[in-house]
Amino acid sequence: MTASEGGTVLIVDDDREVVRTYRRYLEDAYAIREAYDGEEALDLLDDDVDVVLLDRLMPGVSGGEVLDRIRDQGYDVRVAMVTAVDPDFDIVDMGFDDYITKPTTREELRQTIEGLITLNQHATDVREYHSLLVKAAALHEGKSTYELDDNAAYAELESRISDLESTLESEADRLTDDSRFVATLRAIDTSKSGGETDG
Amino acid sequence: MAEGDARADRYSLADTLPVDIDDLDAGMNVLVSGPPMSGKRQLVFDLLAPEGVPVDPLVVMTTDDPASRIRAQFEDRDVRFDPSTFRVVDATGAPGDSEPSIHRISSPADLTGMGVAFTQAVDQMGTPDRLRLGFVSISTLLQYVDAERAFSFLHVLSRRTSAAGYLGVYSIDPTTHEDRFVNVVTSIFDAAIELREENGDRELRVRGLSDVPPQWTAFPY
Repeated sequence: MTASEGGTVLIVDDDREVVRTYRRYLEDAYAIREAYDGEEALDLLDDDVDVVLLDRLMPGVSGGEVLDRIRDQGYDVRVAMVTAVDPDFDIVDMGFDDYITKPTTREELRQTIEGLITLNQHATDVREYHSLLVKAAALHEGKSTYELDDNAAYAELESRISDLESTLESEADRLTDDSRFVATLRAIDTSKSGGETDG
Repeated sequence: MAEGDARADRYSLADTLPVDIDDLDAGMNVLVSGPPMSGKRQLVFDLLAPEGVPVDPLVVMTTDDPASRIRAQFEDRDVRFDPSTFRVVDATGAPGDSEPSIHRISSPADLTGMGVAFTQAVDQMGTPDRLRLGFVSISTLLQYVDAERAFSFLHVLSRRTSAAGYLGVYSIDPTTHEDRFVNVVTSIFDAAIELREENGDRELRVRGLSDVPPQWTAFPY
């Protein structure tokens, strides 16, 4: 697996040493982009970026302002705030998907990013599950059960539906984590709607 | 919890339904489906606070009836509007005074906002072991977001309450959507309680519960 298949992470911090450290922790698993201030972060952001690691306190455009602009522009990206002190405010309410307290470890950093990438995948899986159910329902409308039992494409569809169902159910327990639950809904909110609908 | 009390974590429905269902398992999600004026909202509220049963902590999410009307309907059922046990997530955009029991969201299109409000409501009630969540209604939600987003939201919300052992009760008017959407969205739920009107009489049937036959049963107003 190449690094970009693991996802793309944009690291934003005005401290170049911090950026270098994070890159070292992550570059074997993810494609990395680096920005040293808020303006640069916004320049480097596009739809290929999956996760932004955003330093809260930076000279110029602050982390909070960068976050607001990311959300206003509708990027489908998960954002983890990196902060020197434990946030004394509700990160869920502010629009961050997670946070990391400095100094962080390789283990913690990778877990946080993996968590954000898997919840993105969860949101994608729910959408795909919907689109497959719509397809199956459409096939049902046109054909008898007898015909469907004989239909290889339908069998394939049913098996994909049941695989996705197991995956989604196995991840349900993690939704009791408030920030993960909200971040998953935000991933649904910000997703580009490309799937089939029943309309 | 009393030893041998296997039913302690189930959700009693008392005599709300005219069929042989006294309670539901923790973590279940139920869809109440019926045409306009069939009393499905009443039924949702009856399932959330059945008569003669100690009231569980409640959260009602609403996209169509403002919090004031939800409140009045529960007060009619002698359920006290108390922020430690009963909260409303009001996504109707209706104006109103700031109240600890009411979490206001500007529009049902703000799925993240509804999720944040739900987590805050549950946290501020002390994250109870038991809770009944009502959602009225899926039909109104569909006027604000596309089918894919609505489905995804309902899937994630229902799995979250299920994982916590809560009971979820949602309403839909199937006559305002294509059959295909109704079928697909119904698959999210463990059971569907359907209402219909036949020759002026109301009937009900339950689908999806193995021990209850899906037969239409008289359900007078």
